[in-house]
This record gives sequence, C-alpha cells and structure tokens, in this order.
Amino acid sequence: MSRTKTSRRTFVKRSAAAAAGFFTLPVIIPSSVLGMGGKTAPSDRVVIGSIGTGSQGMSNMRDFLKLGDAVRFVAVCDVDSARLLKAKETVDTANKSNDCRTYSDYREFLEKEQLDAVSLALPDHWHGIIYTAVANKKLNVYGEKPICRTIRDGQAIVAAVKKNNIIWQTGCWQRSQAHFRKGAEFVRNGRAGKISHIEVGLPDGGKGIGTPPVMDVPPELNWEMWLGPAPATPYRGVCHWNWRWILDYSGGQMTDWAGHHIDIANWGTGMEYTGPVEVSGEGVYPPEGIYNAPVEYDFTCKFANGMTMRVANSSRLRHGMGTTWYGDLGWIHTNRGNVLRASDPKLLEGEIGENEIHLYKSENHWLNFIEGVRTGKPTIAPIEPGYRAICTGLLGEIAMTTGETIRWDPDKEEIIGNPRAARLLSRPYRKPWELPTV
Amino acid sequence: MRKNYISIAAALLLIALLPSCRSEVNKTLIITGQSSHNWMESSETVKQILDETGLFRSKIILTPPKGEDMSGFDPAFMRYDLVVIDYEGDQWPENTVTALTDYVKNGGGVVLFNSVNSPLASSFDSVSVTRRTEFEVRTVNTDHPVTKGLPVRWLHPDDVLTRGIDPAGEEGVLLATASAGQGGRMTLPVMAARTLGEGRIFVTMLGTPDEEGSRALHCAGFITTLQRGAEWAATGSVTQELPSDFPTAAGSVVRSGFKAIDSHEAFENIASYDISQSTKYFTWLQTEIRKASGDEVRLLELEKKMVEVLKNTTATAEAKRLIIRELSWMGSDYCLPVVKELSSVEELKDDVDFALERLQ
Repeated sequence: MSRTKTSRRTFVKRSAAAAAGFFTLPVIIPSSVLGMGGKTAPSDRVVIGSIGTGSQGMSNMRDFLKLGDAVRFVAVCDVDSARLLKAKETVDTANKSNDCRTYSDYREFLEKEQLDAVSLALPDHWHGIIYTAVANKKLNVYGEKPICRTIRDGQAIVAAVKKNNIIWQTGCWQRSQAHFRKGAEFVRNGRAGKISHIEVGLPDGGKGIGTPPVMDVPPELNWEMWLGPAPATPYRGVCHWNWRWILDYSGGQMTDWAGHHIDIANWGTGMEYTGPVEVSGEGVYPPEGIYNAPVEYDFTCKFANGMTMRVANSSRLRHGMGTTWYGDLGWIHTNRGNVLRASDPKLLEGEIGENEIHLYKSENHWLNFIEGVRTGKPTIAPIEPGYRAICTGLLGEIAMTTGETIRWDPDKEEIIGNPRAARLLSRPYRKPWELPTV
Repeated sequence: MRKNYISIAAALLLIALLPSCRSEVNKTLIITGQSSHNWMESSETVKQILDETGLFRSKIILTPPKGEDMSGFDPAFMRYDLVVIDYEGDQWPENTVTALTDYVKNGGGVVLFNSVNSPLASSFDSVSVTRRTEFEVRTVNTDHPVTKGLPVRWLHPDDVLTRGIDPAGEEGVLLATASAGQGGRMTLPVMAARTLGEGRIFVTMLGTPDEEGSRALHCAGFITTLQRGAEWAATGSVTQELPSDFPTAAGSVVRSGFKAIDSHEAFENIASYDISQSTKYFTWLQTEIRKASGDEVRLLELEKKMVEVLKNTTATAEAKRLIIRELSWMGSDYCLPVVKELSSVEELKDDVDFALERLQ
C-alpha cells in the first residue's frame, strides 16, 4: 500500500515536471487533476486549503494535520493578516517547508488554487456566499456548522452542493463519537418506544458588553471584507469569536449549537431530511447593548407525525445540555462528555442486532471526510441533515422574533400564510455582494 | 324566606362587585420604623415603586422607635388591600400579630420586604448577610403568576444576600434563588410566595439599600418583581407585563428612576439616538412589536410612530437606520413611500436597499 502511494506520488511529481510551464502552480498536484474528478481520487494525499483561520478553522486544521500523510495543506485564506501568518506557520511546520500560500480574499484563493478540498470556518453571515462559491468550483468541502445564517442561504448552499455533486462534510463532529451514534441508534431501533417528544438543550447566553465606543480597526484586520454582505457598521472592538452574539452575523448560542444537538435529535428519529410543520416560542433578549442575540430561548416544534421537539437554553430543561428523546418506554439522553443514559438502564443494554438499523459509523470526523474525498463514498454528515438542523433553529428564531406561531412546509420549504415572517427567511446582502447563482 | 333571597342577592351583588373594586387601586399600607437597613429610604422607595404602577395607593406608617412602648401599635389592617412590611425590630403586640394573621387568613395580601425579624417572616436563629455585590438570580419557578415569563437567569446589582431564612416556609413556593460565595457555591432563597387561609404573602429579600445609594432598589428586576409580587398578594393574579428592560444573564439593569420605558419616552429617545448610546429604546420597540403579533391595529400604530421618526428632519440617521431595519420585516404598504424616499440619503442607501428587498 505504502509502495503504491510512493510510486503514485512520484508519478505526480514527474507529471508535474514534464508539464513544466503548464503546471507551474501548485507544486503539489491535487488528485482531482489526475482526471479522477475529485470524488474518485487516487489514494494520494488530499490537497486541501483553509478559508477562515480563526479558532475553529485552526482547530479543524489541527485535526486534519493529525491524519499525517493523508492530507497536505497548501493554502490558507483570511481577512486578518496576523491570523493568516499563524496559519501559514502551522502549515509550514507540518509540511517542513515554507510554501504554504496565503490569501486575503477568498475569490483570489478560488481562482488560483487547484485543490481537492477546502476546509471552511467562517462567521455565519459569510456562509451563503462562500459555501456556494466553493461548491460551484466543484471543490469538496468540510464546512462548519451552522450551515447558514438564513434559510434562503441554506437552500442555495444545499442546491449548489447537490448540483455540483461534491463531497460535503458538515462540522457536526458529534456524529463521529460512539456514544452519540449509539444513542441515536437505540432510539432509531425503538429502545425508548415510539418517540413523542424530544428536548434539545443548548447553552445559555452569557454576559453582554454594553455599547463599546467606536475605535480604530486593527491594522491586521480588513474590517470591510470581514463584514462583507452584512450591514456596514463601525468597528467597536468586536470581531473574532464574539461575532456570534450579534444578530447581523449569527443567532447566538442557539444557532451556534443547533447544528450539533438538533442534528443528533434528527439522526435518532430519522427526521434528517425533513423538518417541523409548526414552530412557536419565546426568546429572552438582552435589554440593551451590541450583543443582541437571545440569551435564553425556548421554542417548540411540531412535526407532521405529531411528535414535538422543544429547543431551549439548558437551564430551562430537566436534563440540561444535550438531546433527550422521550418515548412510550422511557427516555434516552445523550450529551458531550460521553454521556449516554436512560430512564431505565435496561433500555441501553445489549448491542444493536444484525437485523436492526445500523447508523453510519465513523470514528474520526475529519478522516471520514478525507476518505470521502478519496473514494467518493458519502460522508457521515452530508449537506442536507446539517441544513435541516439549522433550519429548525432558524424557524425558532423567526418565531421568537415575530412572537408568532410559524407554520412551515418542510417539503416546499416555505412559511405558510405569514408574509411578514417569510421576509425573515433571508437577510438581504449589502451591495455589491450577492449569492452566487447555482 | 323573602328576606333570605334579598340577602343572597345582596351577597351575589357584593361578590360581583368585589373583583372590579379590587382591580382598580389597591389601598396599601407600608409599615416601617425599625430595620437593619436604611428603612427611611427603602420604605419611600417601595411606596414610589408601587404607586407608579397605578395599581396601588400607598401610605407609610411608622412603628414606635426601638425600645419604646409597642402596646398601642395596632394598625387597622382590614382597611387595606395590601400590607407591606419593611420592618425588622421589636416584637409587635400579640393582638396586632393576631390581627395581621387574621387579615391574611381572610383574604388580605402581605408583602414582606427585606423583613427577617418581623411578623409572618420565617427565619432561623442565626441570620447574616453576604458582602454587597452583583449576583445572578435564578428564577426557579416560572409557572407562578409573579415569575411567569421571567428569564431563568438574570443579574442583580450591588445587593446583599441573607443567610438563615426560609421565606417560603412549609406551605410556600420558592420563586427565585441567588448564588453567593466563591464560585457561587452557596445558593440562597431570595423570593417566595405563600398562601395563608384566603390570603397571600409575597416575600422578597432583594433591594437592600446601602449607605450611599440604592442601585439594588433601582434594579429593573427588583422593581418588576416587587410590583408583580404586590399585585399577586393583593389580588391573586398579575396583570403587569414584563418590561423590555428586565435584566438577563447578559447584564443587570439599573433604572435612573423607577418607571419602565413608555411609548412617549421611547420614541423621543429613538429619534435622537446616536451610536454611542444605549440601544434600550430599540429593545423596547422590538418587544412591543413582538407583543403586538397578530394585532394588526397595534402593529400599524407602531408602524406609524416609526414612520414619524423617518419623516422627522431632526431625527438622526442612526435612528432611521435602525427603524428601517425593523420595518424591513414588519412594515406594511404604509411605510413604503417614506422608506423609498430615503434612498436619496446617501448614508441610508444600503439600509433602504435592505428593506426594499424584503418589502417589495
């Protein structure tokens, strides 16, 4: 196996050398260039780049680098030059070279780089444009959750991923942890009986910072590009990480985490490719200050089969954080920290039988993606379940914003009979930004 | 026989009239005169907080000073719908305590405000207070009329917590707790509701005044829960809505006065908003819009007020920007021409584009 790999890599290098003047960039040829269409890539390293090198982008990069020879990072892109430099250093150290290329504009990155895959970790308000643009380039994507800031963005992303037939992995890595899979598998196989209700506990919101003064933008940050399609606003010292408490960029803890525990809930019930038919609830919004995302939230979704799902900040729920499925035989709860428990421990006894439903098994979320890129095998977290999870969260957000009960058609993906609420399906982009055509 | 019918009719009439009398203004007696805290300030503050709702008309009476003869202290509780006790001190005469207990048993309402050592209070032998600090209140019961709809977690500024009390007693309901000590390891009760016979007792340990001022008494969370607790004690239900400035885990809210934001104050301040100011008036507006869901008349009323700001030549561009953002989803045809007209204002062009994309 290793011999095959070596020879193939040698072949690649020779080809590159032979084609000098044509293949000047990049030095490492992506497997897709070998005519394998990316999805059926040879077992060579997957050539990958990162757009977004903040905490989550770097965390993903480190997880990919742990895979050793399986991947090779060749380019990074960020609107913060200090972060970009650190990312390049990380890549160069791993590659024992100095040739990781850097970009401050994703458009140039996409134009110049020839890659197998891209790792995307950006503020939510950029997801619609960049996820769609990358999919349109037919690059395979490891994309951070939540898939989108708005439902319209999400629909465009899903369409682009499907049309371009790329391999997609959503960064909902809980799916690749055994206890989450087991929990979902037990539920799927009826160990808790018929599920009538689910509770999804996500984090409480934190302290605000009031209204800080306008200040100079740090020289390393391209604030205008960071804002991109979001409304223009002066810089107040809030950008990296803390953007998630501001509604122009994110929906707070709720939308940040919907892609994890709602996704697990849907995985357990098999409702990954549909959504609720009705959503209502209330949010607790900070009385003032630039952090305006709800610090508490509590909404209930009804599904066509009569099942309900309550999504709330964990302080409001009996089981706190995580997913709890309630069935007529008891409840099963799962959460981070290897938590898998039930109203009766007997519900969790034994293994899933041969003739029962076995969910997709992955033990390493990043490796699972790379394998997908290499072999064309679908990943454990394809685009639509990721979209459906955040779609439920975003419908909750609309219900809380309007104070109304939202009726939703999960097939047509439209709000029924409420034109006012339907306006909240999108957040218009600031010119000249627009969603790429799929 | 006929006489009996008349009596029954009279009784029915009285029952029919009682709630309507009650729902107007609740005659309130505030009793103070001795306390471990500055009762002169707190009792006056409590009076203002209650009276400004329009639901109470309060009068303050003082007990005899500490160490003096209490035997003549015998307020006519029955004349009031609500008795507020801001008192910690010498024992009241037994007949006064009995009269107070009977008053509650017969349907009277009592608020125990920071009153540990007083009639109806339920405390243990050793009572002490923590150091003054901001702390997080946990609403542990969100079903009770007083605390329904409250955030589960909210911050309360510059107050002390009392150890060694049992405000709910055996029959009561604990409404809220707060954490004190390093790492919040000590959880102490701060609000409770009890019933006694036909009557109700609301207990709050929040709002202890200090030497220099009373930020704790100006906390929107303290004010709101006192007002709601008093209404519940007096009437058995709560009609007051949660104000838009109720504190959350994001931060405490200290009002300059005691009043909640009203429409007049909000729109006046919205028109002059600049980006260095608090966004609290916009939060008020967003809250009002949410509350008006399904009520087209109220929504149009709000929209008209918002359009007035857009038309106001002295209103700031920042104010108009935030108004346009709200109108972008809740506005009707009514706002459309005015929003369109603002596209000629360079600094609002992006925002108008944003709104028109949704509205048209």
